[in-house]
Amino acid sequence: MKLNELAAGTNARVKTLQGDAHFLNRTASIGLTEGVPFQVVRNDRNMPMLLYVRETLLALNRADCERIEAEVKA
Amino acid sequence: MNRIALLGQPNSGKSTVFNQLTGSRQHVGNWPGKTVEKKDGTYTWNGQTYTVTDLPGSYGLSGNSDEEVITENYIKSGEADLVCVLVDASQLQRSMYMLAEFAELDTPAVLLLNMMDVAKMQNKEINAELLQEHLGIPVLPFTAAENKDYDALKTLFEKELASPHKLASVPVSADGAEVSAQDKYDWIDRMLAGVSEQRNTVYVMSKLDQKMTRPVLGKLISLGFVLLAFIAAFIICMPFMLIGSMIPPLLNPPIANFLNSLHVHPWAVSVFSLIIPNTLYFSISMEAFVFGVSTAFGYLEEIGMLARIAYQFDGILSKLGLQGKAVAPILMGFGCTIGGTTGTRVMDNWGQKMLAMAVVWAVPCGSIWAVMPVISGMFFPAWGTVLVCLGILLYMLVMMWIVAKVFGPKLSPESARAGMVMELPPVHKAHWGHILKEALYKAWDIFNRALRTVSLISLIFWALSYSSSGALEASLLYRIGTAIEPVTKIFGLGWRTFMGFLSSAFAKEAVLGVLNAIFVGQSSVLDATFNAKTVTMDAAALTGMMLQNVSKAEALAFIFACTFNVPCVMALSTTYRESHSLKWTARVAGFYIGGALILSGIVYHIASLFM
Repeated sequence: MKLNELAAGTNARVKTLQGDAHFLNRTASIGLTEGVPFQVVRNDRNMPMLLYVRETLLALNRADCERIEAEVKA
Repeated sequence: MNRIALLGQPNSGKSTVFNQLTGSRQHVGNWPGKTVEKKDGTYTWNGQTYTVTDLPGSYGLSGNSDEEVITENYIKSGEADLVCVLVDASQLQRSMYMLAEFAELDTPAVLLLNMMDVAKMQNKEINAELLQEHLGIPVLPFTAAENKDYDALKTLFEKELASPHKLASVPVSADGAEVSAQDKYDWIDRMLAGVSEQRNTVYVMSKLDQKMTRPVLGKLISLGFVLLAFIAAFIICMPFMLIGSMIPPLLNPPIANFLNSLHVHPWAVSVFSLIIPNTLYFSISMEAFVFGVSTAFGYLEEIGMLARIAYQFDGILSKLGLQGKAVAPILMGFGCTIGGTTGTRVMDNWGQKMLAMAVVWAVPCGSIWAVMPVISGMFFPAWGTVLVCLGILLYMLVMMWIVAKVFGPKLSPESARAGMVMELPPVHKAHWGHILKEALYKAWDIFNRALRTVSLISLIFWALSYSSSGALEASLLYRIGTAIEPVTKIFGLGWRTFMGFLSSAFAKEAVLGVLNAIFVGQSSVLDATFNAKTVTMDAAALTGMMLQNVSKAEALAFIFACTFNVPCVMALSTTYRESHSLKWTARVAGFYIGGALILSGIVYHIASLFM
């Protein structure tokens, strides 16, 4: 499932991140790596997504969210 | 040499530590061959001088931007004897990533656990001693906004420069391949084992955040906060501005009388009695405004509110290629373009900063909103003036879009926009001492530069408009103006309105006075420009003369030309100072002047069809 398809309140893990080295470096430096658990805090249309990851509340571009695959925790 | 470098992610409080350590003993320049700002400063401690370098803000050291390359190369060069790495104690695991990237550079370091106050507020316990044991370098719990923590920091620097420590362990890859991001976080987890409890609790939004993050309500609350910030800024700066405005009438007559009694040349009299007191007045006004705006917006930033406002407007601004953070400078631009350009310091990298400044220029400042409706009122009925103002707002959006389209691809290329993220720090209490100190630094800096820039530009303008007989026709300005009138007519500007247009590049509040001087001729252009706020003018006479000499279409063209001309010279000089690029400042300025003339021409020719 793509990250931007997850509803607010969902707990999930990052499965894969797709993009060039620049994108991967950037996401890693803010705490988004493969396997990291996170919580979707808000997901509103035309707004950045709000994620809670590694004790940080992050606002992430919607376009970037489409490049991140996540799996919902059972 | 005792050379210390500060390294940390953008929200780590690095610049606060830098400012608190070095105070006013700072030097700002460029990194060789780059537009990236280089900030050095010094302080003395126990009789020794220490040099501190504030390394450009970046999230990591993987060469993603000029900032990151510069930082990495600087540390590798060994120029710094000690690197002070800052991490956010309230988000320890994530912010340690910078330390993990730094680890590979094998340089003496200390770790600053900043924002201990926020960590404490969130009931996060951190065992700094254990972390120190794991890392092999000193770890200091710290709150950057607390003055009392700095003695411990300086003591630590002194000790470590004498006998430095390097990290005892570095991230390694499990399979011998290149060290991956995962390896770095694994290393962080090993370092943090037992240091802080990894509570995997569910995040619960605060009541305020539940409202602040809603798409519509959040935007309304954001605008409310910004409006309050403006009101606060004006309350703060009003007393200073009042005092400043008393300077020219107080100083002008005595200086003029004194110099006249010495029988010095009238040139010198007008330089000293007109330009110097007015330069002082201008500089104080600007300083006061920047102080007010910096205090109010500094407060919003410090408590974490600015990040939430940025989040609200990120979607809209990303269409311009800008981060949400640009919302604050753009809104500040409605008050004063100088405030707006200094506000772009929050942007992540140089390209974003320069683009934000170029966009801020399109926002009509407070002076424009004070002057243009008056001019419009001379030609159009009230409802017409309302339409003119709406037209200005509408074209502002168009201009912002044009600027973003023209300069965006170069300044903020699609590839560099990837992963444009921000963090929303928990809303917390403000440290007022720190906010005021930062605002004072900015205001002082503006005051100093204003004195220099305004004096220089004033002298040039003064020379152009000086006339020995006092008659306008004897000035250089008149001769140039009338000579090029055939050209300016194409843009719908006669020589008189073209002079008004030129003066709008000097200061928007001077436009009315200059028009008054040119059309009514009761005071000289000189007095009008420099005593913009003190020259009395006969509004009825000016209106009458303008209506006789200027058509409605010309007036409309003039209003748009002045509004979307380059901002005042001080805003220009501030942009140069903030961007460190004369080339880009000139490029954007040229674009605005050309754009304003073309706009003027379009408005004139279209309006001529109807009026």
